[in-house]
Amino acid sequence: MSFSTFTTPTGFLLPSVHSAPPFFTQQPHPGTNATVTEQWTTLLLAYARHRKLFVLRVEDTEAADSEWAEVLRNERINRKLLPSYLSTILATMVSKNLATYDPPGQTRSVLLYWRLPEEWAEVLHGWAISTGQLNTILTFYEITDPPIPSPLSDIPINLLKKAIAVLAKTGRSQLIAVADGEGVRLLAGKS
Amino acid sequence: MHRRGVGLAAFDRQEQSKRSFAELSTQLSQSQVDHLHAQLNQFRTALARFATTHRDSIRRDPAFRHAFQQMCSSIGVDPLAGPRKGGWWAEMLGLGDWQYELGVQIVDVCVSTREINGGLIEMEELIRLVSKLRGVGGGEITEDDIVRSIKTLHPLGVGYQVVSLADGRKMVRSVVKELDEDQAVVLAIAQQEGGRIVEDTLVRRKGWTRGRARAALENMLLRDGLCWLDEQDEECGKAYWVTSAMKWDA
Repeated sequence: MSFSTFTTPTGFLLPSVHSAPPFFTQQPHPGTNATVTEQWTTLLLAYARHRKLFVLRVEDTEAADSEWAEVLRNERINRKLLPSYLSTILATMVSKNLATYDPPGQTRSVLLYWRLPEEWAEVLHGWAISTGQLNTILTFYEITDPPIPSPLSDIPINLLKKAIAVLAKTGRSQLIAVADGEGVRLLAGKS
Repeated sequence: MHRRGVGLAAFDRQEQSKRSFAELSTQLSQSQVDHLHAQLNQFRTALARFATTHRDSIRRDPAFRHAFQQMCSSIGVDPLAGPRKGGWWAEMLGLGDWQYELGVQIVDVCVSTREINGGLIEMEELIRLVSKLRGVGGGEITEDDIVRSIKTLHPLGVGYQVVSLADGRKMVRSVVKELDEDQAVVLAIAQQEGGRIVEDTLVRRKGWTRGRARAALENMLLRDGLCWLDEQDEECGKAYWVTSAMKWDA
């Protein structure tokens, strides 16, 4: 018997470790646990990037119809990631700044940083330049749901705000109050 | 009948023959030494020629290398040792470098896989990974080569050791940690089972008490980090997976 990689229905290549039964259990040996958790972290971020998923909840381990089911479960060997372990993995990811608890003040749900806010900031700025929208006022909705899909489509508002805050530090963004909430003006900045 | 001289003249004659014999003996041993020197030179030249002509084959062909190393050990020559540092032998063949290079690659593989196997790797797996590291141009390597290279690592005192299991399989241990007898048994069984092992297997197949089985497994899990725990095992609820016995495709 050997463990091999597997391509999911959505076209994601699961690593061979995902077919090993003990991968789904939290390891009591600290060194081993660090290794396995690291592998989970990499896997979760890679999958999030593949599916453009931003949010991961501890509850996702329970539902077979969750968009995370392909990764959190392995029906072929009848294993699933246990909620208690996912909760530990999420805590580790938050401590490494690979995710943040969102909303803050709870530990059941995170926003995943498969791109860091700093990286999203550059994506946002690049998008504004390439679509000629510098210096105009944009509502958040116009960014998260543009007529032509962009890398920023469906980005959670909280993450978008963090990216805008990063740009503000270098004088490349201005938050502006608009009629139905908030908007932003992106600027070329000094360069 | 033997004639024996008497008197002073006879004494002189005896002395003289003794001297002649002594002279003859030095002559003889001198020529023997010369002869030996000549032979040794010839041997050395022949070996050197052999080494240079077959150098590539020795490095590339594992069967040839094995035969060569056996020949060396049967005539009492160590291809890695020599009068100078590294040895003229080693210089001639480049075998020293070859062997040390392999040693470094072994260390590389052992260290980089330590996290997943707890510092214990199966010989076949080690050979596979080292071969991968060397790439296609590196030529084939055998268990014999690995064992030899590990011996060359000995002066470093890093505790690399080849461990033989009951069923004849070999594993390479890269952590300074004693494997007790029970662990060796667990490893051997895990090898046959693809890595999975439960208390029941040890009780049933080895006649161990449950306590002994549990102690051995828990030690491997918690103390040595040689296993992974699976709490969702269909059969027993709790199973141990010996990472060095698990086979990975990728």
